[in-house]
Amino acid sequence: MMNKTGLIALLLLGFAGLYPLFVDSAWLAVGTTFLVFACVAFSQDIILGRAGVFHMGHAMFFGLGAYTTAILNVQFGWAILATWIPSVVIPMACAFALVAPIIHLRGDYLLVATIGFNIIFIQILENDVFGLTGGPNGLFGIDVVHVFGYDFSSQIHMYYMAFILLGITLFIMRSLDRSKFGRAMFYIHKDDIAAQSMGISLRYYKLYAFILGAGIAGAAGSMFSVQYSAVSPEAFNVTQSIMFFTIVLVGGSASLPGVLIGTFVMFVLPEVFREFETARYLVFGVAMILTMILRPRGIWPVKFGNIPSFLKKGAK
Amino acid sequence: MSEYLLEIQNVSKLFSGLVAIDNLSMKVKKGQIYGIIGPNGAGKTTLFNCITGIYTPEIGQILWKGKDIKGISPYKIAGLGILRTFQTIRLFSEMSVAENIMSGRHIKSKQRWYNGIIPTPAYFKDEKYQWTKVGELMEFFNLSLYATTPAGDLSYGIQRRIEMARALAAEPELLILDEPAAGLNENETIELTEMIRKIQAMGVTIMMIEHDMEMVMSLSEYITVINFGAKISEGVPSFVQADPKVVEAYIGSDEEDEDA
Ligand SMILES: Nc1ncnc2c1ncn2[C@@H]1O[C@H](COP(=O)(O)OP(=O)(O)OP(=O)(O)O)[C@@H](O)[C@H]1O
Ligand SMILES: [Mg+2]
Repeated sequence: MMNKTGLIALLLLGFAGLYPLFVDSAWLAVGTTFLVFACVAFSQDIILGRAGVFHMGHAMFFGLGAYTTAILNVQFGWAILATWIPSVVIPMACAFALVAPIIHLRGDYLLVATIGFNIIFIQILENDVFGLTGGPNGLFGIDVVHVFGYDFSSQIHMYYMAFILLGITLFIMRSLDRSKFGRAMFYIHKDDIAAQSMGISLRYYKLYAFILGAGIAGAAGSMFSVQYSAVSPEAFNVTQSIMFFTIVLVGGSASLPGVLIGTFVMFVLPEVFREFETARYLVFGVAMILTMILRPRGIWPVKFGNIPSFLKKGAK
Repeated sequence: MSEYLLEIQNVSKLFSGLVAIDNLSMKVKKGQIYGIIGPNGAGKTTLFNCITGIYTPEIGQILWKGKDIKGISPYKIAGLGILRTFQTIRLFSEMSVAENIMSGRHIKSKQRWYNGIIPTPAYFKDEKYQWTKVGELMEFFNLSLYATTPAGDLSYGIQRRIEMARALAAEPELLILDEPAAGLNENETIELTEMIRKIQAMGVTIMMIEHDMEMVMSLSEYITVINFGAKISEGVPSFVQADPKVVEAYIGSDEEDEDA
């Protein structure tokens, strides 16, 4: 059965797959960054849109992945490939260690705490703790991926690596949504008392969301550092966290198309309107406010009712 | 092991000065339908919240098969086989009826932590089995028609059925119903009564708060009457109905809304 959404998805996939053939290098870089940011936005959406946890420090996990690859490569000479696993595992471990003690906090309190983590993270980067992070300038000269003597160094390579990463992310999102883990997150989000009364541990599933989200964001961060062959603190500050948070809410919490649209609106549109300089951010602010007033559940809201077809037979 | 499934022993629950439950004791036998009645604000819901771990009573013990479960978190209580419905319906209202009932299958699901990331053959088998169970429950509760409808869009009576289906999906040993007939019309109440009998026949023990006297008297094997948090009477329905203390409590409390 090919429905409308499926067709749109297929067209989009085709477009995204062929995109590098039609654009110049500046737009290719925009495309790559879009793919990377979409991964981060999806990982934010696991925590915010699914588990319903107000988390506004996601750029920290993105940054942890980026800096893990950068530090291991630049300071310790690891091959990029070898940094992939640590760039996923370290953000996950940090998510567990940092979030477990505060996971019981109510929405608004937790939000402030996650912002606090992000601020401390930036302080650590800027102060060049242990002489590893390169201070305010960050680190540069990050290597490219080498496999069997072949260098994946061109922007086209970067694009397709990001493309694969987004594919993996979407696969995980789909698996999550169709498992008891994704559903448990929704139940907690919609009514935590009812969810607990059905035997669902708030703590376990919220932490699960954070750890999974941090891992995906870390992988995206690693990709990001290789694409620009440099990292610096401002790419991972609270303003970036606010952007990821906003992408999810503007696009549509827990909605795969919604989050893609959100990433497009919040990240690609500003590139399109580049010549308007800072005035473009004014348009944005207005767009954010209007979306929340006119479409409070996002531009493309999530649709529930994703149940096996044999149960739909008797339904009207 | 004790002959009782659930024993409430001298439980008291205070809310900043207010004694919501006052030295209450009761014993529920396996397979029983146990009724709890009392005027508005008597503390009935608070008692259920103490049993299900939403509140922790300051004093007393709550024994489940002889073990104290006081203060255990609600999700672990559900894991023990104690499931409930709510007086003010608490469904996942944006989600479909089938997804709502699926939440009850959560504790029965054998999916492993990595199945949230990657499906495995065991996952597919489990997922199919759980949805099949959901399908059976929708049939039992006459909900198949609404499988894909958001629960919040349905009528009160149907929503009450969804809540019961959801709790039953977890295959409880003890099902706790807080005013299951509230807001139902006469026909729906008759259907509900039948439904509760069938659930009992499956071997599920039931505790029920209910203001609909006809229903609670016909269903319950044993009843405890609470007023101002304290027990004022207990016994079989015919005894409780005739107890002057019960009659007085109800007259004294302007309990006119029960036949509304
Ligand atoms: N969380 C709470 N904080 C403070 N007081 C509470 C709380 N929950 C209940 N109460 C009070 O405890 C008393 C008992 O309330 P409860 O809801 O248990 O009554 P009930 O017997 O279920 O009444 P009804 O038949 O109206 O549902 C009431 O006076 C109520 O106001
Ligand atoms: Mg009540």
